[in-house]
Amino acid sequence: MNSLIIKDLHASVAGQEIVRGLSLEVERGTVHAIMGPNGSGKSTLAKVLGGHPDYTVESGEVLMDGVNILEMEPDQRARAGMFMAFQYPMEIPGVSNANFLRAAVQARLGEGEELDATEYYARLYQKMELLEMDRKFTARSVNEGFSGGEKKRNEILQMAMLEPSYAVLDETDSGLDIDALKIVANGVNTLRGPKLGVLLITHYQRLLNYIVPDFVHVMIRGRIERSGGKELAFQLEEQGYDWIKDEVPETATA
Amino acid sequence: MSETATLNIDRSVGDFSYPEQHKFDAGTGLTRDTVNYISDVKSDPDWVRDFRLKALDVFESKPLPTHWASRDLEAIHFDKIRYYLSSGQRSSTSWDDVPDDVKRTFERLGIPEQERRFLAGVEAQFDSEAVYSNIKKAVGEQGVIFVGSTEGLKEHPEIFRKWFGKVIPTGDNKFSALNSAVFSGGSFIYVPPGVKVKHPLQAYFRINAENFGQFERTLIIADEGSELMYMEGCTAPKFNTATLHSAVVELVAMPGAKIQYVTVQNWSSNVFNLVTKRGLAHEEAEIKWIDCNIGSRLTMKYPGVVMKGRKARGEVLSIALAGDGQHQDTGAKMIHAADETTSNIISKSISVGKGRATYRGLVHVPKHLKNCKNNTECDALLINSSSRTDTYPAITVRGTGNAVQHEASVSQVSAEQIFYMMQRGLTEGQAMSLSVNGFVNDLVRQFPMEYSVELKRLIDLEMEGSVG
Amino acid sequence: MSTGIVSMEERNRLNNDEAALIVMSGPDALENHAFADWFRQLQFDGWESFRDLPMPARTDEAWRFASVKALDISGYTHPQSVPEAAADELRARSVGIAEVSGRMIFANDHLLQREVLSDDLRQAGVIFEPIEKAITEHAEIFREHFMTQDVVLGSQKFAALHKAWVKSGTFLYIPRNLEVRLPIEVFHWLHGSGTSTFPHTLIIAGENSKVTLIDHFESADPGAPGFSCGVNDLFLEQGAQLTYVNVQNWSREVLALQINSTVVGRDASAISMNLNLGASYARTESVSRLVGEGGRSDMLAVSVAERDQEFDQRTLQDHQRPNTASDLLYKNSLDDKARTIFAGLIRVEPNAHKTDAYQKVRNLLLSDEAEANSMPGLEILADEVRCTHGATSGQIDEEELFYMLSRGLTKQVAQKLIVFGFLNEVIGRIGNAAVEERLATLLRAKFSASV
Repeated sequence: MNSLIIKDLHASVAGQEIVRGLSLEVERGTVHAIMGPNGSGKSTLAKVLGGHPDYTVESGEVLMDGVNILEMEPDQRARAGMFMAFQYPMEIPGVSNANFLRAAVQARLGEGEELDATEYYARLYQKMELLEMDRKFTARSVNEGFSGGEKKRNEILQMAMLEPSYAVLDETDSGLDIDALKIVANGVNTLRGPKLGVLLITHYQRLLNYIVPDFVHVMIRGRIERSGGKELAFQLEEQGYDWIKDEVPETATA
Repeated sequence: MSETATLNIDRSVGDFSYPEQHKFDAGTGLTRDTVNYISDVKSDPDWVRDFRLKALDVFESKPLPTHWASRDLEAIHFDKIRYYLSSGQRSSTSWDDVPDDVKRTFERLGIPEQERRFLAGVEAQFDSEAVYSNIKKAVGEQGVIFVGSTEGLKEHPEIFRKWFGKVIPTGDNKFSALNSAVFSGGSFIYVPPGVKVKHPLQAYFRINAENFGQFERTLIIADEGSELMYMEGCTAPKFNTATLHSAVVELVAMPGAKIQYVTVQNWSSNVFNLVTKRGLAHEEAEIKWIDCNIGSRLTMKYPGVVMKGRKARGEVLSIALAGDGQHQDTGAKMIHAADETTSNIISKSISVGKGRATYRGLVHVPKHLKNCKNNTECDALLINSSSRTDTYPAITVRGTGNAVQHEASVSQVSAEQIFYMMQRGLTEGQAMSLSVNGFVNDLVRQFPMEYSVELKRLIDLEMEGSVG
Repeated sequence: MSTGIVSMEERNRLNNDEAALIVMSGPDALENHAFADWFRQLQFDGWESFRDLPMPARTDEAWRFASVKALDISGYTHPQSVPEAAADELRARSVGIAEVSGRMIFANDHLLQREVLSDDLRQAGVIFEPIEKAITEHAEIFREHFMTQDVVLGSQKFAALHKAWVKSGTFLYIPRNLEVRLPIEVFHWLHGSGTSTFPHTLIIAGENSKVTLIDHFESADPGAPGFSCGVNDLFLEQGAQLTYVNVQNWSREVLALQINSTVVGRDASAISMNLNLGASYARTESVSRLVGEGGRSDMLAVSVAERDQEFDQRTLQDHQRPNTASDLLYKNSLDDKARTIFAGLIRVEPNAHKTDAYQKVRNLLLSDEAEANSMPGLEILADEVRCTHGATSGQIDEEELFYMLSRGLTKQVAQKLIVFGFLNEVIGRIGNAAVEERLATLLRAKFSASV
């Protein structure tokens, strides 16, 4: 029950199949990393899990704690416990970070239940400290004018506040310098625990030095072609992806 | 002269002698008699005569559009204009009467001697029958009809009557009504389905008394999947004693057809140039107006595209150069009338001396359409402190699912840039020319080659006069 | 042109002539008799101009796209003072910003309450009076400024009507070098059904002074029809800084016309903001005249148009002197069958070199029936200028929406938040936290009322 199960997932965008029969299980309490060359379908997988309207699921299942989420709207999935950290977080002009997060937290409360503002701000400030974010960020518009690193930190802040059961982090390390990377990794590590399953999507092994995964998967042409422990990441770092590509004939995906 | 050598456009092969040699005179002023007279001379079918007479009523009933347009229109004396000129009357000017600056420009542009005399109005005709016949023969083999308007209505009514006056109804505006009453000259073209006309068709190859006339009427029909580029005018100044030019140009692009219509207007500075141009684009058809206005006293011209079929595209690329004392009042109209239609307007204007460049635009996206897009960019460059520019777009968007954006900017040639170039040894005029050419460069690159070369040269000429 | 007060006979003639037009029954000699003769004459002159000028037609460029049919004003009655019980209620309902420097409350053009400024401000020479008092007590300066600016954007006829009928409103004068720290707040209530009102605001910000004023236009009954014809005139002397906010929150049945003028002197800086929430048809004409070098005017507007509301906004940024700057940002959200019209012109007069002028209108369309018309214009008669304008019409960005949904917000909440953010961005440019918060609250209230 306590796992995110992806079964033989096929998904396409603009008529082109990108995810081509992918299966994976992420148990709560574990961190899985998905690595792969550019164009292998990693980000598509994240978007499909999030329910982005441009992506069409052709077949397969995604069960979150036993519930098929593919029929759910993006917001329903989110409230059910799915969190997606965007590779390119959106800027939302005129809406302050604090108000946005507050609306998101409020959306998770039951009918007629009102958010306790004092408790909310206390928690927000505590999480911001963890991510070394200045309090002035609460008043700024969501992601607007943020640097790449600030945006990614803001994603992790939202994750911390929304307490998901599963988090998909899409290329969270891209565009980060080493200091920002450490802060973001520290944030994620703090949130790790038996209630949370993490799917880390990354192109580089670097992030995995800071967020050490329990499992590493290699995605090529829309499928998981190799799975292993964290040592697989080192092997990829040294040898690249070609050796796996070579072993997987293109037709194998058909 | 080395720069004329580089121009290398062989215009000597550019013309023919049109067989009409009327020695008729309709007199001045406009009455039913004038219209009947024109119909008589042209042996119009009855329906054309009726069309003209009805148009005259419309013309008379419509006020001048001075509530939004320039009051300079009031300087047109309709009763002093000759509405039909025979070729004989055209050549009444002698070469000696042609102003020196016009002659100088011809020289600088490298216009061949013989052609200069035609352009200057000294000679009514410009003999190059061979080339026109060749062109006509070449496209004729593909089934393309390329004739004058009179001939077209008379000989191919089954093709042209259906669309004649339909894209631009007589009552569209006062000047389309005027044209509808007294039109003569202009081209009628039909391109059969699937035919892609390789070479641009040029009004230039059909030059005769009427062709550069005052009230020409052009109708182009590109049947399904066909393609055509049409060019009219040239960058050399057209010296004319007549003061009113009022043409109507209608384009019809059937499904999947593409029409590009290129105009370079360089009327002399006494001419009112009031032209109505519009195209109708059916499903997946594309109409592109490339419009370059250099001469005239007042030009009012807003080429439009009605995108009637799904995925139709409309485009207007326009350059206006308003010299001292000129008013270029130009723009574009984009009427979206089907889903997924896209339009693009890029307008660049340059105002020199007391010149005034006005952009007027209309973009209309009615309700319940989806995925329509319009992009409009208007950039104006002011050269002197007394130059003027205006921008008056009107944009209506209904409903969701469409994206429309308009941007305009006004700037001047950067003094730093000029200084930089002068420090490298260019004269101020040269530096100015470079800058201005840079301003229009991205647009000019989309023009047919010979036009873009001439245009650059013309800008050089204008800029030389603007500094100091 | 007559030189004295119009005769009684003439007055009666005017009354009889227009008897059918209740609001237009001619200025009432008895009621206004407290006013000085010169002011009464002005009103008669206004009345005559009103009668002489033609009604706008859609073929007028200044009224292009406008639903001029909506301008039928024949049925509205003359503003009457409200009963004491109602006045008490309106006083109680005049809640705005917590801390203000001064406050006036009007109902149907009658002063209900004036909360005087602190002694300090009064002693410093601030005048904050209803105009009926200013006419007599500060006649010279009042007369020098009262309705002296040409109306150029189409509502000449209605400006004349206002002149004929205005009988109260705000007169605010800030002496040189004085900064009024807290905002001043004014409420104009429309009470009763079918009533007309002629709100007036005249502000003179003296040299290097600084002040903020908010006008609230509210209806006592949210369903009552009415007619408002308002004028505001803002004058900024050298180096003055003025922030003026107009909150148009009439009932949904009100026909509202508002004529705004800002005259910006040397090195002065004006921020004006129109928040359009109420009315069935609201037309606002706003002119900024930059008459002194170094002057700057920020023109802002937020309109939330829904159901069959029509908001018609016409603007002019008139740069008369070199080195002046103006920046206009108007944002509209349109739902249901709402219509908006924006027609703006940047005019840079000859020799007004080194002008910076910007103009931007953005329409966010939320329904298939909504219609946004934009006519951003430029007339540039000088060089060395930096001028741009832009107009965009579009809808909620799908990626932005997805981002919000992915955080668990419902589609409805996410859309509202995006629209709110879109509009709130303009409010954020006012630069006064208390005022911004007040406007954001009003904006939220309109959104929650629409659910």
